[in-house]
Amino acid sequence: MKDTAIIFRREFRAYFYSPIAYVFSVIFIVLNTSLYMFHFFFFGNADMRSFFSTLPLVLGLIFIPAISMRLWSEEHKLGTVELLLTLPMKTEHVVLGKYLAGFAFYLVALAGTWTIPILLVILGKPDFGPILGGYFGAVLLGAFFLAVGIFISGFFSDQIVSLIITSLACGFLVFIGWQYVPMVIDGWIPGLGEFFYKYIGVTRHFNDIERGVIDIKSIVYFLSFTALFLYLNAKALERRKY
Amino acid sequence: MIELQKVCKNYGLTQALIDVTCSIKKGEIVGFVGPNGAGKSTAMRIITTYTAPTSGTVKVGGFDVLKNPLEVRQLIGYLPETVPLYADMLVSEYLEFIGQARHLNGKYKQRYDWVVEACGLQSVLKRKIGVLSKGFKQRTCLAQALIHDPDVLILDEPTSGLDPLQIIGIRNLIKDLAHEKTIILSTHILPEVSTISDRILVVNNGRLVADGSFEDLVQEVTDRRSVYLAVKSPKKELQSALGSLPEIQEVVFDEKGERGAIGCHIYTSLKTDVTAKLNELIRNRGWDILEFQQEKLSLEESFIRFTQSSASIKKSSPPELHAEKEGGAQ
Repeated sequence: MKDTAIIFRREFRAYFYSPIAYVFSVIFIVLNTSLYMFHFFFFGNADMRSFFSTLPLVLGLIFIPAISMRLWSEEHKLGTVELLLTLPMKTEHVVLGKYLAGFAFYLVALAGTWTIPILLVILGKPDFGPILGGYFGAVLLGAFFLAVGIFISGFFSDQIVSLIITSLACGFLVFIGWQYVPMVIDGWIPGLGEFFYKYIGVTRHFNDIERGVIDIKSIVYFLSFTALFLYLNAKALERRKY
Repeated sequence: MIELQKVCKNYGLTQALIDVTCSIKKGEIVGFVGPNGAGKSTAMRIITTYTAPTSGTVKVGGFDVLKNPLEVRQLIGYLPETVPLYADMLVSEYLEFIGQARHLNGKYKQRYDWVVEACGLQSVLKRKIGVLSKGFKQRTCLAQALIHDPDVLILDEPTSGLDPLQIIGIRNLIKDLAHEKTIILSTHILPEVSTISDRILVVNNGRLVADGSFEDLVQEVTDRRSVYLAVKSPKKELQSALGSLPEIQEVVFDEKGERGAIGCHIYTSLKTDVTAKLNELIRNRGWDILEFQQEKLSLEESFIRFTQSSASIKKSSPPELHAEKEGGAQ
């Protein structure tokens, strides 16, 4: 665990060395807030439904791939992976340290959207249940996407390739949770669309939590997929040896 | 300290290492020599646990690289060819990170001071690694390999990108470390290997083609001895005088003699030493000697012999000797 902390510290600091992180955080916050504001002034509801309904797309297509792309791709490019994987540390600990650094950075950016709930408190009387549920869901969702991202980043030495493929993978996970997409897939191969929707797609689980329905199944879904991809990441890196 | 047993490594269809077996004792300095793509870096990566051998066993300090990688890594300081550095970090931050990752804890301060001194990094500690010159990058990376005082040092091209003065500095550093550590280094600069290493391993096309000291290797590829002589005398007289010695197999005269002298390479069989007789001959004639020296086959020459299909060349073509003074260029 000490090793994980050492890697975490370096990785987390590394986010702030380069301007990319700042740029993406600002884009994340501005994009989310402005999308929300549009909705907010249009309907005038004191809730964050629209914020959380666009969140999976913004996270999956842009923000998480941008955070996760450098985690391994940069190491491959610089050759530092050779240093990192010959340190007296277990690969799992290195993976976890890097992952947690990315996750912490995501939490910082997510915390940057605090202006919305504050605004709602000032202007109306929002129901805090769905808002807290939404943030909780966003944390779980980010954790899952980030695990997918770090796993993909392990295979490529080009950050842009990692970004695009992570984007596609997370986009897929979001889209197959939209009801009409599985219906189209079902039209081609009966049953496949429903299978994707029920067991793989992220949207259904996220929407449940965001609505305040905290089902243990959804939590298990997010946590187990996160753990699975982190495990696969460590195994894939070990596998590169052969 | 390091044992390789029938090590093979395949990358897809390419065979990077084929059946390499060798054993390196504690305290030895071993030079890996071979053309690009010969398998030097692959061998080093296997020893450092970065890649796994396809077959065969590798042990470092008694630990198997596959079964106990963490123990092996603890023993090794590694300078990869790629010089892995985080461009955005300061030199001091980088060394601190490595120190933590190597679990130095209390010993860190002392080791840090030592390494900064030994690698000459005082002036750049607060500079970003990305803006450093190639030489400083190389030395920062060397510092990384030394910071935990490892028993085994694996250095992949440690002097590439350094200026001659720095090369001498690094060479001396390696020599100083030699007493307590086992060192493997690879290089393209052949004279370097012969000055630092006790033992040279020549790798070609994934195979270990030669193993021994510099002198051993030279002897293995040459079948005759050579003496260079330059004297002030008429050429014909010298020619006939040398012709009177039956031990001499061949005499090759220089194109032009310096300061009225005549130079020649005198070849004899490996077992005979003709210097005493030559001395006597020159003394009797009263010639002035300008130069008189044993010629050694240069490492470049033996390197070329070993890396071309070695067996056939040894028999068929007579070796063409280069004086070390001529062949000493890099």
